[in-house]
Amino acid sequence: MAELKDNPFRQRIAEVFSEDGEGNMTLDDFLDMFSVLSEMAPRDLKAYYAFKIYDFNNDDYICKSDLEKTVNKLTRNELTPEEVCLVCDKVIDEADQDNDGRLSVEDFQHMIVRAPDFLSTFHIRI
Amino acid sequence: MTYHYNEAFENPDYHYSETLEIDRSRERNPSFHQNRHDSSLDDDSLYDSYEGHSGRGQRNQDYPMAIPMASMQPGFRYSHSASGSAVPNTNPYGNPHTNPSFEYEPELAYTSPSTFHAMDGPYMRRSSDVSDGGSFSQRYNRRQADLVYRMPSSLLRLDSKAETYNEDKYKQEEKLIKNLASMSSGERVKAIQKTPKTMKEKRDIRNKVLMEKTKKSVSSSTQINCCTQCMYKTALSYQRFKNGLSEYLHLLQLWQKTLKVIGGKFGTSVLSYFVFLKWLLTFNIFSFLVNFSFITIPQFIASGPNNLSFNGLELLTGAGYFKKTVLYYGFYTNSTISKTENNSSYNMQLAYIFTIGIYFIICFFSLVYSMAKSFRKNFINPQTYSGSAVKLLCIWDFNITNEKAVKLKQSNLSTQIKESLSEVTHEVLNLSLKQRIARIAIHLVVWVASLGIAAACCAGVYFLSRNELQLLEGNKSELENEAATLVLPIVVSLLNLLIPFCFALFGLIEKFQYPRHQLYATVIRNVCLKISIIGILCYYWLNDVATSEKECWESLVGQDIYRLIVIDFIFCLLGSFFGEFVRRIIGTKCCKKLGVPEFDIARNVLDLIYTQTLAWIGIFFAPLMPAMQIISFFIIFYVKKVSLMRNCQPPRKVWRASQMTTLFIFLLFFPSFTGVLSVMAVTIWRRTPSKQCGPFQGLTSIIDAVSGWIHILDSYSSSKWVVWIYRNLIGSVHFFFILTVIVLIITYLYWQIIEGRKMMVRLLHEQIINEGKDKMFLLNKLRALQTSKLDPPKGEQQERSSSSYQPSRQAALQMTASLERPFGRNGRDFYAESSSAGIPEKTGLAPADEEGHQPGISETLALALRARQQAEWEMEDDDDEDFRP
Repeated sequence: MAELKDNPFRQRIAEVFSEDGEGNMTLDDFLDMFSVLSEMAPRDLKAYYAFKIYDFNNDDYICKSDLEKTVNKLTRNELTPEEVCLVCDKVIDEADQDNDGRLSVEDFQHMIVRAPDFLSTFHIRI
Repeated sequence: MTYHYNEAFENPDYHYSETLEIDRSRERNPSFHQNRHDSSLDDDSLYDSYEGHSGRGQRNQDYPMAIPMASMQPGFRYSHSASGSAVPNTNPYGNPHTNPSFEYEPELAYTSPSTFHAMDGPYMRRSSDVSDGGSFSQRYNRRQADLVYRMPSSLLRLDSKAETYNEDKYKQEEKLIKNLASMSSGERVKAIQKTPKTMKEKRDIRNKVLMEKTKKSVSSSTQINCCTQCMYKTALSYQRFKNGLSEYLHLLQLWQKTLKVIGGKFGTSVLSYFVFLKWLLTFNIFSFLVNFSFITIPQFIASGPNNLSFNGLELLTGAGYFKKTVLYYGFYTNSTISKTENNSSYNMQLAYIFTIGIYFIICFFSLVYSMAKSFRKNFINPQTYSGSAVKLLCIWDFNITNEKAVKLKQSNLSTQIKESLSEVTHEVLNLSLKQRIARIAIHLVVWVASLGIAAACCAGVYFLSRNELQLLEGNKSELENEAATLVLPIVVSLLNLLIPFCFALFGLIEKFQYPRHQLYATVIRNVCLKISIIGILCYYWLNDVATSEKECWESLVGQDIYRLIVIDFIFCLLGSFFGEFVRRIIGTKCCKKLGVPEFDIARNVLDLIYTQTLAWIGIFFAPLMPAMQIISFFIIFYVKKVSLMRNCQPPRKVWRASQMTTLFIFLLFFPSFTGVLSVMAVTIWRRTPSKQCGPFQGLTSIIDAVSGWIHILDSYSSSKWVVWIYRNLIGSVHFFFILTVIVLIITYLYWQIIEGRKMMVRLLHEQIINEGKDKMFLLNKLRALQTSKLDPPKGEQQERSSSSYQPSRQAALQMTASLERPFGRNGRDFYAESSSAGIPEKTGLAPADEEGHQPGISETLALALRARQQAEWEMEDDDDEDFRP
């Protein structure tokens, strides 16, 4: 569909919202997806699903490899590996509240609260 | 309360999504398991007894306690469906509604299907849980490998374990549903919305909650059935009506599709400009409707024919033909209009003043409301993240759907990241004192220069306008006069167009540490310029025009504002033509270095604020000014849209859309709207209205119309309260003095509360960091212990058990979830659990766990316990009981 065609995270979104975890969506999954991405969805819910989208290996933590994947998707592999590594370290350093070297849902939500733009950007207009 | 419920609410999913009961229950002894069931059952019913407390008489109070106790006896549970349904009937107090909530529910899971219709739901759910329970099934897949090698051990047992898992899960849900049922419907909807579950599960939960609700209400409302039914029906139809209405309103929403296209191509930042434009448009539509219906339509009834000639220039100058139309103040009569035979009449003076007054009051409140909402949303935290974490994880704009835009965004992002990285490597520039002074000096010079320019502009505008006033007195032909009036608005618009470019040039000289500061500085300078120009014009209108003994000075002011708005509109169109279209031609054809222009959001929004301020001032002098504003906004919207689509590219810099929108709403409120209010106040209270025209002719000041009316009302005894309110509240200084003092006190209190909260937040943040350090420290210690006990001596069984128990605790706390299960009934546990272990999970740990329940907790264990307890905010008491021997 057009809204997701060019989104670099489209595969991830499909995976997160599909019931079988492989990107095959039923109608209910589809509705779920748009209810989360709608304007009305509460912040916590959005944050939870955003977290899941960024959590590429499904281990309920955003670890460094997840971040690296995110960076590569965001920048179309234009950065050198060292730069990517540096960025990821910085992100973890900044957002990790409990110093365990990765971001939990709580860390993520904590960060989201301070990023007011998130609500308007994690949103697909239909 | 809501928050608490939410916690409990997220609970089952978080919890179960992490680990499967099957993994854990193997390692637990059955009797323990049984105990836990009972205790939690007890817990449930306890909860219910609290819940039912308020509705129940004193004598009933111990009744609910008796039931769960009984239910703890083995056997009772399985035969309950008979006794359960019997109990409400045997209840001597005729108060059955307290029973269903605790009586049936906790035990549904254990009963075999019975004649209860309510049973169907839960049962279907139970059987389908494994196959389709959204997140659970995902985890299930992931755990498949785990399962497979456990499978052969005993299939039957696994089945029973799965059953217990379901029971457990079901019970959690049960509790959740009860929580939900006790909420009001609005709260419930919100809470259900908040759960991160699939649609199916949500629907399920909602259905169950509704079922519970109806069950309760049916049993309780046998006597007042009719009444409640009626109420229910009205509520339902109201709900339906609301839904239908909102659907239609949605259809009515303007430009839905256009906005989507813009958002898709240019992202949220540019979109915010158009949303702001739309928002202003609704203000104007509202004010147009109000003014038209309460001021203009009555005037149409009373108005005479207009015999002035019409030539094209009037559209620009607003003079001539328009002088004698409803557009201006001067045309309205001061009489009461009574066309009908009965003596109901329409007092034009009062209508005029009240319509405009009420419009401004509504505007005031809606502005304050949206400002407060925006502030609350976007400035919650004292320190917002500006770091790379947000840049990375929240930066992606899911609105963007255009392929080119996506590519552009990606390359922009990568340059941004590179820039920020280079900043990191350079660290903060260590400026020498000299350089720092030079910087500050430059800032100072630029500020002085920009303020000086603004002042010079004001002076120029003031003298020009005075000149023009004298010019009008000279005897020249009508046409020349009209053309001459156009000089002032053209000059003002030119200044408005050119000076911002000049300010933008200053930006090249100045070096700001953050681009954000530069943006703020530019915005503040532009606002200074625009507002001071409007201010000086107001001064001219109120001080020179109003006291100039001219015929109908209000209409003259109205004409001036009309011209300003029209010319500004034309310049806006020209600006988007030259600023964007020609600029693009130059950028793409002649001078490739310039490239395609970006859409300057700040400048455009400030232009909107400027015109809106003018329109607000104009409402009094020309009641139909909003109509003009509506037309011009419509055209601007389309012109800007086309120009944007054809000429511009998405802005390269990060634009914090929501914060900037807040700033703009604030600007619209503070210098703009408050300025308009003060101008209005001066006009109404201090200026003498013109003697020959307008609704207030012959009065010494406009407010006299109201006080005269109050005087008339004084003679009627039935409307004494209006007089009283006017005299004692609105007209009294003391009242406003007291009100101000109270507001100030409240503000001060809130300010203090905020300070306290800030301190609290800081402390809690520090605590979190400390906890994290604690955790890391303990984890390291554990690892050391684990490596040292790789080959422990036999004699130290006690020590071994405690130390091996310790890692298991720690592991549970940190990563493995298998042992955590009995203790964690709290949603927070999810966060502490994970399967990706830094410590390899050992099968030997399982028996050690059981041993761990024996006395002999070492110091480290105590430490670990403490850390864990602190890390979990809301730990239920029975967790501890389970855990401690």
